[in-house]
Amino acid sequence: MARLADIPEPERSVIAELDCPAYADTVPVEPAVPGERHVAIVSTAGFIVRGERPMLANENGYRRISSDVADGDILCSHVSTNFDRSGFQQDLNVMLPRARLAELERQGVIGKAADTHYAFMGATSPVKLEDSAREAGRSMLALGVNTVVLAPV
Amino acid sequence: MSGLAHYLENEGLATVIVALIREHAVQMRPPRALWVPFELGRPFGAANDAGLQGRVLRAALALLDGEQATPMLVDFDEQAPFADGDPDWRFPGELDGSGVIAEAASVLPLWRRAHQRFGRTTLGISGLEPPAAVEFIHRFHDPEPMPNPKGMAPVMRARFAIDDIKAFYLEAAMAEGGHPSSRQLQDWFWGGTQAGQMIRQFQQRARSGDDNNLKLIAGSLVPAERTIAFLSADA
Repeated sequence: MARLADIPEPERSVIAELDCPAYADTVPVEPAVPGERHVAIVSTAGFIVRGERPMLANENGYRRISSDVADGDILCSHVSTNFDRSGFQQDLNVMLPRARLAELERQGVIGKAADTHYAFMGATSPVKLEDSAREAGRSMLALGVNTVVLAPV
Repeated sequence: MSGLAHYLENEGLATVIVALIREHAVQMRPPRALWVPFELGRPFGAANDAGLQGRVLRAALALLDGEQATPMLVDFDEQAPFADGDPDWRFPGELDGSGVIAEAASVLPLWRRAHQRFGRTTLGISGLEPPAAVEFIHRFHDPEPMPNPKGMAPVMRARFAIDDIKAFYLEAAMAEGGHPSSRQLQDWFWGGTQAGQMIRQFQQRARSGDDNNLKLIAGSLVPAERTIAFLSADA
């Protein structure tokens, strides 16, 4: 599963025919060497911290998930019926692999796992997210982050 | 998601994206993408498989090594285990067939067991406890609906209560472990539970009623393929 052909209709056609905005090639940032990589994860699962207001469809803001938030207090407020939840229900790391990232830090594969990860609402036009994405990026830079792993759902 | 990669890279961050829809990555040309052949909702492969999750993460970060010719799109060719599920899987309990409230009560012990097994629950965005979430939807259109706690409009509470009900049942379904596929779980929930039937009826009523707010959420309550199957069966 997960090749486009494996996704059931009518979702398959919706996904295949999605009008993706065009982007010019972005000049890549020169990556830090592995031992100096300070890595944050950005998800589009609409993650919130338990008790927070759920994110809404097409919401263009973002949420922060700090390292002191327990796995059990991270909820997915993305309400699309198009993706599986049962993996996430068993193991947060299927969507937000912060435990794996911490392991890479301990193994010296990266310099540091970020103390804060970020969540946007998926299925929102990326054009609508530009301002908040740039703001989140500046927030990450201020915290010393230089590398981002983007994880869709 | 690919759009975010462009914006973040422009701000000075080196990005790698774990892409689930290869075609979208091809169109949107993020600087560095690792396409993974996993189900939507599982970008890092499989639950409780730290090895696979770690290999995906390492492969994504490896795109930052070496020459940076972009856009870069690399395929991760390892498959997730148990993607086809377990043909012997069955719901690990007995559902009370006397009504949806009684059914939810019969699910509760298993859900508590699942909570212990997983060390957490993903239920909670509606702010209602599981049986209350079921009752909230069950009575939503009654002359005397269940009181809506402060802090969320009734329609939004209903929207999120439905997600919590699904989480309640699916977590309970996995209380004894095993490797059911998402399709097996969905088949069971939508075809074998009164809660699934209640949500489907709620959706039909939302669609046919005159409350525009309910109409807005109706499309995101039941997977479209299931809605079509139900409508075909009803015709």
